[in-house]
Amino acid sequence: MKGRIKPVLEYSGALLVLVAAWWYVSGPMGMPAYLLPSPASVGSLLWDMILSGKLWPHLAFTVQNILIGLIVGTVFGVLLAYMFFKTPSLSDYLEGPLVVIQTAPKIAIAPLIIIWFGLGLTAKIVLIFSLVFFPVFAGALAGFRSIDSRLHDLALLMNLSRTQRFLRIDLPAALPGIFVGIKIGAIQALVGAILAEWMSGSDGLGYLMTFATATYKTPLLFGAVLMTAFLGLAMHAILNEIEARYLAWSTPDEQ
Amino acid sequence: MIKIEKLSKTYGQGDGQVVALEPLDQTINEGEFVSIIGPSGCGKSTLLRLIANLEAPTSGRVTLETAGLKRPVGFVFQDAVLLPWKSVADNIRFPLDTSGVPRKLADEKVKELVELVGLKGFEKSLPKQLSGGMRQRAAIARALADDPPILLMDEPFSAVDLLTRETLNDELSRIWQKTGKTILLVTHSVEEAAYLGSRVMVMSPRPGRLKVTYEVDLPLPRGECTKRDPKFLDLVSELRTLMREMTS
Repeated sequence: MKGRIKPVLEYSGALLVLVAAWWYVSGPMGMPAYLLPSPASVGSLLWDMILSGKLWPHLAFTVQNILIGLIVGTVFGVLLAYMFFKTPSLSDYLEGPLVVIQTAPKIAIAPLIIIWFGLGLTAKIVLIFSLVFFPVFAGALAGFRSIDSRLHDLALLMNLSRTQRFLRIDLPAALPGIFVGIKIGAIQALVGAILAEWMSGSDGLGYLMTFATATYKTPLLFGAVLMTAFLGLAMHAILNEIEARYLAWSTPDEQ
Repeated sequence: MIKIEKLSKTYGQGDGQVVALEPLDQTINEGEFVSIIGPSGCGKSTLLRLIANLEAPTSGRVTLETAGLKRPVGFVFQDAVLLPWKSVADNIRFPLDTSGVPRKLADEKVKELVELVGLKGFEKSLPKQLSGGMRQRAAIARALADDPPILLMDEPFSAVDLLTRETLNDELSRIWQKTGKTILLVTHSVEEAAYLGSRVMVMSPRPGRLKVTYEVDLPLPRGECTKRDPKFLDLVSELRTLMREMTS
C-alpha cells in the first residue's frame, strides 16, 4: 500500500502547485479572462456541465471511440504479429515496408482518412486504429519472439492444437510485450480521438475544444483540455492496475 | 516398448557439422528403468529429445509402442519448464486441461500429485515464488498428470539439493514400481544411475555413442540397504572408472 500512496501524494502535490500558479496568474497578476480564465470559473463551468448532463455525451463519445479503436487495433496488431511470428518468410518481406510506413506521421494522413472514410464515425475509428495498431503490433511481435524456447518444446510435447497453442501458451507468454504496446497505443488513441473530433463532427471533447475556440469561450476550452488530461490520467491508472493484477508473474518479486 | 533403430543426429552442415549421436540401436522394454550416463557432449540429452520427438533424427527411427496415445511421453526438463503465469496447481493440471478432462476429476488428480511430490500448501503459488527444487517437483507432477506410459527425464534433479534429491529418487523409484512406467533418466550421478536403473546405458562423447550397457541386478524395492549392497558398490565404482577414462 505504501508504494501506492506515495505517487498519489506526489501527483496531487504537483497538481496543487500548478493550480496555485494558475490562480495567481489569472487573479492577482491580472491576466485577462479571455486569455486565461480563473481556476474557479473553469471549475464552476465544468461542475455546471456535469450537473446539467451536457458534458457526459461528449466525454462518452470520446471514450467510446478510444475503446473501439484500441480494441480493434489491439486485435489486429496481435493477430498480424502472430502471423509474422509463425511465418518468418512473411516478416522477411513485409517487416521493412511496415516500419517505413510507420515512420510517416499518422497525423499527416488524417485529412486523407477523412477523404477516404467520410466525416462520420468510421473515419474517427480508422484514425485511432491506425495510431494504435503499430505500437501493439511491434510490442506483440517482440513478445512472441521472446517466448522461452522451452515453452515451444512443452507445446510440442503436449501435442497442443494450433488454437490451444495460441491461447494457452503463445498469447499469455507474449502478454507483457503486448501490454507495452497497448500502453503506448492508448496514449496515441487519445491523441487520435481528439484530432478526429477537431476535424469533423459535433461530439466529443475535441469538438468542445474547437467549438470553444471558435466562439471565444475560453473557460470551456480550458474545461475540455482539463477533461482530456484527466481522461489520459484515468486510462494510465486503469492500465497500470490491470498490469499489476494480471502481469505480476512477469516481474521479479520485491521480497 | 521403445524401439530405437539406427538412430543418429547431426547438427549443422558442411564443415561445421557436429555429430551429436552416432547410429544407435536399442530396445527398451515396457516397465524398464533405464539410466543414461556419460560426460557432457555424449548425446544423452539428444537421445532423449529424439525419443520424445522434440527433434527430427538425421537417420534411423524411434518406434513407441503406445497404441496411438495423444501424449505417450511425459518429459521432465533439466530445469522446470513451468508456465510462469500459472499457479503450481494450474501448471500441474495443464496436461489435463488441454486434453478435456473434466475439471473435478482433474482437481482430484492434482491434489493427489501435489501430495506425492510434497508441494502441499504451495498450490496457489506462482513459479517465481518457489525454489528451484520446488519448481522441479511441480514439473515432475505435471509430467505424471496425464499418466503417460513413458517418462523421459533429462537431468531432472541437478538443480535440487542433495537431501531433496535422495527423497525424490526414492519417490521416483516407488512411482516406477507402482505404475510400471517405462522410465529413461539422464543423469550425471553414477550413484543415481545405479540406484534407480534396471539398466544403465553408458555413453561416450565426441562423437556421442553408446559405449556399454549394464543390466543392474539389484533387488527391488531399492532403499538404504541397496546403497550398502556390495553389488551396488561394485557397479558404482565400475561406472565411475569408466566415466573417469572418458573425461581424462
